[in-house]
Amino acid sequence: MGGYLMQTQHFSVNDGEGIRTTLFLAGCPLRCAWCANPEGQTCRNPMTRWAETEEVLRELEGQRIFYRFSGGGVTFSGGEATMQGDFLRELTDALYDDGCSLALETCGVFDFDALAPTLAKMDQIFYDLKHLDPEVHRKYTGMDNKLILENLPRVAALGPDLVVRVPVVKGFNGDDSSLEAIFRWLADRVPGGKIELLPYHRFGEEKYRQLGRPLPPASFTVPSPEELDRWRAGAADHGLTVVSYR
Amino acid sequence: MLTPRIEAIRQNYVNAKPQISTQRAKIWTESHKATEGKPVAIRRAQAFYDCCDRLEVHIFDGELVVGAIGEFRKCGILTPEFSWLWVDREMDSFATRPQDPYLMTDEQRAFVRKEIFPYWKGKSLEEAFLARLPEDTRKIGVDTGILDNDSKWRQAVGEITPDYQDVLFKKGFGGIIREAQDHISKLDPTDPKDLEKKDFYESVLLTSKGIIRYANRYAEAADKMAETEKDPGRAAELRQIAANCRRVPENPPESFYEAIQFLWFVQVGGILSENPLSLNPGRFDQYMDPYYEADLKASAITPDFAQELVDALWLKYSEWVWTISANTADYFAGYNQFQNLTVGGKTREGRDGTNPVTFMALKATEEVKSHQPGLSVRVHADCPKEFLDGVTHLVSKGTGFPAIHSDSVGYQMLLNAGYEPDDARDWNNCGCVVPHYRKTGEWTAAVNMNFGSALEYALNEGRSLMTGEKMGLDEKPAGTFASYEEVEDAFYRQFDNLCRHAIILTVEAQRLHVEMVPRPFLSSCIEHCMESGTDLSRGGAKYNIGPVITGIGLAVVANSLAAVKKLVFEDKVCDMATLAKALQADWVGYEDLREQAKAAPKYGNDDDYVDSIAQKLANHFYHEIHQYKDIFGSPFLTAFMGISNYIPMGRVLGATPDGRKGGEPSSEGVSPFVGTDTSTPLAAMRSTAKLNQEVHSGGTLLNLRLNPELVATKRGQANLGAMVQTLFSLGAFHVQFNCISSETLRDAQAHPENYKDLLVRVAGYSTQFVNLSKSMQDAIIARTEHAC
Repeated sequence: MGGYLMQTQHFSVNDGEGIRTTLFLAGCPLRCAWCANPEGQTCRNPMTRWAETEEVLRELEGQRIFYRFSGGGVTFSGGEATMQGDFLRELTDALYDDGCSLALETCGVFDFDALAPTLAKMDQIFYDLKHLDPEVHRKYTGMDNKLILENLPRVAALGPDLVVRVPVVKGFNGDDSSLEAIFRWLADRVPGGKIELLPYHRFGEEKYRQLGRPLPPASFTVPSPEELDRWRAGAADHGLTVVSYR
Repeated sequence: MLTPRIEAIRQNYVNAKPQISTQRAKIWTESHKATEGKPVAIRRAQAFYDCCDRLEVHIFDGELVVGAIGEFRKCGILTPEFSWLWVDREMDSFATRPQDPYLMTDEQRAFVRKEIFPYWKGKSLEEAFLARLPEDTRKIGVDTGILDNDSKWRQAVGEITPDYQDVLFKKGFGGIIREAQDHISKLDPTDPKDLEKKDFYESVLLTSKGIIRYANRYAEAADKMAETEKDPGRAAELRQIAANCRRVPENPPESFYEAIQFLWFVQVGGILSENPLSLNPGRFDQYMDPYYEADLKASAITPDFAQELVDALWLKYSEWVWTISANTADYFAGYNQFQNLTVGGKTREGRDGTNPVTFMALKATEEVKSHQPGLSVRVHADCPKEFLDGVTHLVSKGTGFPAIHSDSVGYQMLLNAGYEPDDARDWNNCGCVVPHYRKTGEWTAAVNMNFGSALEYALNEGRSLMTGEKMGLDEKPAGTFASYEEVEDAFYRQFDNLCRHAIILTVEAQRLHVEMVPRPFLSSCIEHCMESGTDLSRGGAKYNIGPVITGIGLAVVANSLAAVKKLVFEDKVCDMATLAKALQADWVGYEDLREQAKAAPKYGNDDDYVDSIAQKLANHFYHEIHQYKDIFGSPFLTAFMGISNYIPMGRVLGATPDGRKGGEPSSEGVSPFVGTDTSTPLAAMRSTAKLNQEVHSGGTLLNLRLNPELVATKRGQANLGAMVQTLFSLGAFHVQFNCISSETLRDAQAHPENYKDLLVRVAGYSTQFVNLSKSMQDAIIARTEHAC
């Protein structure tokens, strides 16, 4: 068994605790207009590769000692790692049995019941929440947010260290009312929960060029550090715990 | 925050150009003219005494720690007894030479040419060494960049850690005098062996009296200055300085301040006696903390004033300049005197030794930002979090300090070199990255050996690619090698020949040091010399550890052999003859082949294909060198150190099969070749830890670049601490991090080929800087500037 990988990123220090390897699994149900990793939207494209599970696990061997000293481990990212459910389960089961710390970055679009045993093995889950308005959500990601909003409390109930991540994109959700709505909803569903605001960036543009695809709309802009600080303070006002993995 | 006084001294240190003082050379020479016929130890000791007695006294503005080696605040001295030839040859261009220039006036030059050099003609160590060296060794070992040991015959050895714990702070030089007198009274004047000892003890009497005299002259001067000083605060300081100088170094120090002043007087003594490199303060926090704690308890000092004293000492360490030839300066670039000061680590008893002085040392280096002392830290698996945090915090400041060492691997290196466990546990660093101990006589940087040259001779019929001259053993044409194993065998034949010449260079120099340059002052700082009545240069220390041969170009040769194996004998993209021709042509006309060579496996990426070659090479080096013994019967040791020697050694090296062009720098220590560790720093760490580092008791060095952003936050620093602990658990001895500045990033933009390994954090992930577009690079440069 195996699956499609975009990248195996060792020495990853911003997606969870300690020094980690981030496994970028290809394939994604969403089509976010600002997407920074467009090569992850499909499994097969010039920037992805097939990898056997065994091969991936072997590649992690030499990194284990760095995980141990730093409290790190493996983070599954993408794309959307849950799109390749079997591949994700195999990797998770093997690493879990080895006592490796595990984290998952997800957009929240998955069949919760099918995935629950795998999710339960995660020490930490980064759960994206992009917009509360279903229509705006559909317009900019290709899907409404119903399943995402339903799944979030279920995931929380599994009891991992849950961090809700909001990609802050001006021209999409980078405004007071959109963010305020997210904070309010979250404070109600996961009181005191952890939240991380990630500013939009354009570092994926190179990849669009490589894939021969049009760039994200120029109407999306990067929020300023001051704006971000203000919104972080806003989240804290709702009793949320603002975190950062910088 | 530095005090205004320290800041003012620091500004002078940063901005002033070092100047040469001829005072010491003048007195030294006059003294020698007056002692013709006496034993050499006595003559050198008398010259030392005369310097202490007659050098001008200079107490500079604002100084809290006093003692000058000449009339200038940033000052270097001349030691014509070691070598005057190079000074005569080079001093006209001292001010204009590219590396480590000094100021010297025309009057000074005329003076030394008239009054100093004529006396030393035919008497210097350099001349004797060159006269005795066998012709074939001279051809390959004098100013060639192939084998280099000129710091052992154009300079003094240095490479000593004075024993503050058991000798100096316990006895003071007054105590040493009494001990010497006591020994002399028991000697039998009819026994030739005792007569030798008598010379030694007499020489120690002279140097001890000399350094006390020197201090007392400072006491008198300080008192005199206090009388006319208008600022009552400064006048009080001067009187305190006078009181300090009356007490130390004659007596054991009784306060933190006196101990600091004592340290500097020992440094002055070392400098005046031989202008040494690597006169190491050693385990500063271990021997200073008792004074600090006692003063605190007695309310005799405030933490702020103690810090100011440490800052002042750091500047004193940095103001004197090691006067060296242009050739030596190539190998030891940056006015570096290699006064290595070690903090942290386990005590002799095995407890963690971290204490308040440990943190004062880290703080001084962070705030004074002086290049001296060379701050080393010992990190063990259970070291306090505050200490590791302090270390990684300092790394984040981008100075390159501290040099981070594995406590346990240092211990193992000393055990392997023959130390008793308690002594091995008490190790400090010497010079660059040499694990050392204060009761030791050792040449810790005896010869630098260019590994690349051996490969060059194997592939070019024993000849230099650059000059065409026959430098190595006979070898058949490269085109006739039928297998990779044949190539490897040819390389090791040439390699072993270089090792043999390195040994000859060392033992010849050692023999001469015994005859010509005894070291009474420094011998008196080493316990066992006094017990045995034997000078350091004659093996008087408790441990006489074998000289260290330093290998340069481990990565270049491992990468090159891997490229030969892969390109010629596995993938068969070219034959040996073609590769040899490409090297002779410096790759010109063979650009495609060069690209394939560059794409071959490279050491530093956790790739066993090439890492195993590096491992075999390092093991071979150890076994080959370790079979030889020095003049004391001690087996020679190996090291992979850094310094700057990979640059001159690269300059004489033609193109290499790894794709390197002729003349480009070689590789340093156990570090990957620059720009070829393109995976992650973790992979580079894993590669270097595959070498059996603990057998190389002369030390191993790893330099890694880091983006400042990676360590800009506490969290990033904690991760760095974890990386260090991982590296050490894998068996590595040392690592030093360069946090890159935006200036470097700009250079990387202009010359991406040199920076392929440069990792930058982009957004949630890290990637190679050179793989980013121009606009994104600009964005990151802007951000990095901000982060710095």
